[in-house]
Amino acid sequence: MIDIRKDRGSFRDPRGSVYIARDHVYRTVMPRAATDFDAVRSTAAWEELLRKQWVLPEDKVDPEVLGDTGKGAIYVLEHPKLPYISYPYEWSFPLLKAAALLHLDVHLLALKDNVTLTDASAYNIQFQGPNPVFIDHLSFRPYHQGEFWIGHRQFCEQFLNPLLLRSVLGVPANNWYRGAQEGVDVSEINRLIPWRKKLSWKMLSHVSLQARFQQASIDNSKKNNVIGKRKLPKEAFIQMLSSLRSWILKMEPADTGKTVWVDYAETHSYTDQEVAVKKQFVHDFVHAGIRTVWDIGCNTGDYTKVVIRAGVDRVIGFDADQKALELAYERACSNELPFLPLFLDAANPSPMQGWAETERMGFSDRSSPDAIIALALVHHLAIGRNIPLDQVVSWLVGLSRSGIIEFIPKNDAMVQKLLCLREDVFDDYNEDYFLKSLQSRARITRTKVVSASGRRLVCYER
Amino acid sequence: MQNKLMVMIMAIIVNLLFIKSAYAYLDPGTGSILLQGLIAAVAGVTITGKLYWSRIKDMFSRKAKKHGEPPEKD
Repeated sequence: MIDIRKDRGSFRDPRGSVYIARDHVYRTVMPRAATDFDAVRSTAAWEELLRKQWVLPEDKVDPEVLGDTGKGAIYVLEHPKLPYISYPYEWSFPLLKAAALLHLDVHLLALKDNVTLTDASAYNIQFQGPNPVFIDHLSFRPYHQGEFWIGHRQFCEQFLNPLLLRSVLGVPANNWYRGAQEGVDVSEINRLIPWRKKLSWKMLSHVSLQARFQQASIDNSKKNNVIGKRKLPKEAFIQMLSSLRSWILKMEPADTGKTVWVDYAETHSYTDQEVAVKKQFVHDFVHAGIRTVWDIGCNTGDYTKVVIRAGVDRVIGFDADQKALELAYERACSNELPFLPLFLDAANPSPMQGWAETERMGFSDRSSPDAIIALALVHHLAIGRNIPLDQVVSWLVGLSRSGIIEFIPKNDAMVQKLLCLREDVFDDYNEDYFLKSLQSRARITRTKVVSASGRRLVCYER
Repeated sequence: MQNKLMVMIMAIIVNLLFIKSAYAYLDPGTGSILLQGLIAAVAGVTITGKLYWSRIKDMFSRKAKKHGEPPEKD
């Protein structure tokens, strides 16, 4: 009997749960969900959602696969296992925007056949490369004439408001989102956005009015009863969804124009020839056993592209720079790369959090790659963030059994830049100590100096 | 366009009515539901309006048919 465990984030919906068994993902459909489940599956819209790959595929399997765990379930579904689970607080602006648009598109298509969604959680969307996919198969149920959009507030808090934070105020939502989990509260975004930015019908209704009505209901609970008798015509429901869609489609980050980023990938302190040597070294590192790579400090994805070209199946990139992440996303889309660039402050990675501190998994608890690449990263942590060099190496080696780490010596221009305004207290920051730290944890398989300043790339295996 | 104007006027009234701040526990979805109630009311007006408009249009198009085109066969 294989080890089966319930997904720790799957407990809110009594209509079914998700179970993980090694490389398989199963979902139980409990009796209370059966009628809705069958009704939705008989529609053409459902077929189309699957055909367009907007919803993750599902296969009905023998409930016996789950043994006693599956007892009481009407159906057991199997889904393909996603290589990496990411959370909205790790998404850059264009990822959150893509997720929001998919959510609306899925809902609009479903409504064509009178199917609606029970909620609007951003956690129900995952990414395969840069492409979003809807993963909560029990969120779908038949639509009843005149019903309200129950997920509207949740959509605003988990998609719309975080997008407004960046597109109107120029503030990335990641840190706020990570703290609040459920997104940005309606009343909070209403307080932040200045009145002169609210002079549009969309802003007025979804932000100001919603916040004001919420406030109003504290003073006058009778209104709720009046509203309870009112019906929202289907065409008004669809209009709400499609106007949100066209609004979000036009949103761009307010703090930067696209033209500013063009030079972004080009700014580095070494020559083209040195870059070519570095790329060749990274290319040669890849072998058949490496399928998933994490690129820690991926920037705009220059070296991600190299390892993908060299034959890896997918790269999950991590960086703390929003502009670099946005450029990386564009590159992934335009070159159709299996590349998902995510927001990560390596000195403060996503923790285990949510209910019981297990609902959302920490950065390194989710999965483990076949290899990591950490280029031009170590000095940011060791000098930029005062993390002892030995601990930086230990953390990186702990993430994967193999990888490439770049060490940049103190005399390099980039390190000098970090040191120019502060006292050099980093006595241990030297190549010898770096190599010694690495050797105490792993075997060094290849190494090469790739720049005149003495930057060194090191491959390790443990 | 008229509907949007009407809602904007209502919005301003509502904004003026509830300017005090309060911190109390409530169902966090109430604001959304109330907003949709308003949208439903506006949509109701729109649909009624459209119905009358199409009746008026029908009236004129029937007249036009009588004058110009031959009556359709059953």
